[in-house]
Amino acid sequence: MSILYDEGQQAIANESRRVLEARCSTDRMLGLLDRVGEYDAPFRETAVEQGWTALAIPEAFGGLGLGLVELGLVAQASGEKVAGAPFLGVGHAAAAAIEMQGTDALKAEWLGRIAAGTALGTIAFAEGTEILPALPETTFADGRLHGAKHGVTGGGKADFAIVWASCDGAPCLVLTGLGDAVVTPIDSYDNTRCHADLAFAGAPAVLLAQGRDARRLAMELLARVAVVLAHEQLGGAEALLFTARDYALTRRAFGQPIGAFQSVKHRIAEMYGLVEIARANAIHAAASVGTPGFLLAAADARLSATEAYDTCARDCVQIHGGIGATWEQGLHLHMRRARSLAIEAGSTFFWEDVLVGELTGEAA
Amino acid sequence: MNDRDAFRARARAWLQSVAPVYGFHARKGLSTADDLALARRYMAEKYDAGFAGINWPVEMGGQGLGHIEKVIFEEEEMPFDMPTSYFAISLGMPVPIMIRFGQGGQGEHRDWVRERVVKALRGEEIWCQLFSEPAAGSDLAGLRTRAEVDGNGWKLNGQKLWTSYAQYADYGVIVARNDPNVVKHKGLTYFWVDMRAPGVDVRPIKLADGSSHVNEVFFDDVRLEDSQRLSPVGGGFGVAMTTLMIERYTATDSAGFGPPLDVFVEHVKPLVLNGRPALEDGRVRSAIARNHAMRAGLDSITRRAMLMMQAGMEPGPEGSLNKLVSVRSRQKLSELALDLAGQAGLALDRHGSAHEDWTKSWLSAPTGRIAGGADEMLLNTIAEKILGLPQDYRPDKGVPFNQIPA
Repeated sequence: MSILYDEGQQAIANESRRVLEARCSTDRMLGLLDRVGEYDAPFRETAVEQGWTALAIPEAFGGLGLGLVELGLVAQASGEKVAGAPFLGVGHAAAAAIEMQGTDALKAEWLGRIAAGTALGTIAFAEGTEILPALPETTFADGRLHGAKHGVTGGGKADFAIVWASCDGAPCLVLTGLGDAVVTPIDSYDNTRCHADLAFAGAPAVLLAQGRDARRLAMELLARVAVVLAHEQLGGAEALLFTARDYALTRRAFGQPIGAFQSVKHRIAEMYGLVEIARANAIHAAASVGTPGFLLAAADARLSATEAYDTCARDCVQIHGGIGATWEQGLHLHMRRARSLAIEAGSTFFWEDVLVGELTGEAA
Repeated sequence: MNDRDAFRARARAWLQSVAPVYGFHARKGLSTADDLALARRYMAEKYDAGFAGINWPVEMGGQGLGHIEKVIFEEEEMPFDMPTSYFAISLGMPVPIMIRFGQGGQGEHRDWVRERVVKALRGEEIWCQLFSEPAAGSDLAGLRTRAEVDGNGWKLNGQKLWTSYAQYADYGVIVARNDPNVVKHKGLTYFWVDMRAPGVDVRPIKLADGSSHVNEVFFDDVRLEDSQRLSPVGGGFGVAMTTLMIERYTATDSAGFGPPLDVFVEHVKPLVLNGRPALEDGRVRSAIARNHAMRAGLDSITRRAMLMMQAGMEPGPEGSLNKLVSVRSRQKLSELALDLAGQAGLALDRHGSAHEDWTKSWLSAPTGRIAGGADEMLLNTIAEKILGLPQDYRPDKGVPFNQIPA
């Protein structure tokens, strides 16, 4: 896969940006901050209508048969608008798990519905401070799941989850419908991500992978989420870069635009550098899926995207001064999203270790 | 295999064949004089092999290939640490400027220029670029070296500074002030100068890392013919800007011209830190990971630019990030490498190369952050040219040079 977008990919980028520009609303997003367990319904409807839910699903199951590059472009456009539904990344990972490891029956049960937008999937790996504990406390035995998963992205709205569990003293990945789980939405600073705690007390589940295969698959899924999130983070960072630039051009102090002061213009130039490095890594990672270097590329993309979005959120608010810190102006939507995306699918601490492990061969 | 892959393979095969004679190991421990002599032989051999002046016109002694082939060759050449630095400025800016502006209105100097080009490509002659001065570095247009009309020619007086390889140079290109009564960038004119002419005095300057490749150059009533003028009178700043813009995309190095990251990892592997393997230390792992992410991003930017050039598109301006980001992070990584080495980090290998030795890389890093555009100027350029932010407050704007407050 090339790291140069082709015409079709460019069209997806432009069209998704155009649609979201028309349909996203800062006021609506501000209102949703105080509503626990709700996503932005118009965004979700748009995603279904535009075929974004079907984008990376195989054509045999009603999908469009495209991949991570295209999904990344939609995620980037969504990130620009802090769009309010969390399923681009985790939904893709859940579908990919079924596609790679599921039986035909499982594929038939879920993939078509995911593509059509009538089912939502997520991944539930983390316990406590560990995004991927070596041996999770959640257990799978005799087709039943017991235990709890914390802070599951989209968990408050998902119909099923791919769960990281233990089975006979080894890790495993299972699929479970969430109808039998106790779902407790978390009141979060970024509520449209629908973070929730999940508790299982004998919920029926299907085994997808076990032991080393399970761990390999879990890393692959986390990497895919990380690459989608990296695009979302990139979109947010770039939007903040331009917001900061535009404000620095219009806001005047001491008789000139504040953008003429080097303390301000250099800050914005540094934002540009972070954004472009994040972009280059995100494109490369999306194009590397399926190659031996994917995990390393995903870690590069994840780390640089987190740094870019965090820094841009911090500095864009700073450049705005007092107005940037107001509720109404809405920059805090990005600030909040930068943090929630930085934590979902593994924080910088996790991905730094993944990267070094890949680089030094210690992971093998 | 397409033509470009074939070219790359041919370049690599040739480089491998001559590396034992001219590469890193052959150069280790050589005096500067011996290294320069070796370098001249390398350039002659490169010329004979058809890898010199790759994207220059055939009629001027080049190979007539594309910019992309030039970058491919440079990418292949860089890891061998061949002795090319003496000619980097010469072939990078002054000689292309001579091809473009030095042939005379009717091509009357074409043969002479062609002879210079070939000798420069073969390493027999070296050109330097006389731009910076004691009071004009980032603010190039503030330069003070004077070019005064002298009969049918010109008379040059003043001082240049930081002139790389001037002590080996046969010729130079120079910007001088012909008129102090107009705004500063309007009163400049561009010439070439014979570095052996009477009144030219070159004095090497020893830098912090112990090397002496830069010089101060004094001009005392140096005579220039009007035929040595390469710009309209008062039009020198435009040609100087052309010089700096000749090639936005050269082969870049995400290691910031210091050691690659795998050298850092190998450096760290045997080290112990507070009783534990250093590679298990979170601070070390974080530094490795973040540097890797940054360098991978720069590499990806470069690869995308190459693909765009191959597809006939203009690469984006993000290529301008490379030097800014890579050199300053190399500086910090070099400090970290020395800290990690403990007491062994106190030693200095005088023959070490900045491409593999952390002490040498650290000692020479400041030059990298200043030469060819200081970090602060690069940030200004990104802010103004790419993002459209305003220029700084400039008290010298619109003021004749001789009335600018000192």
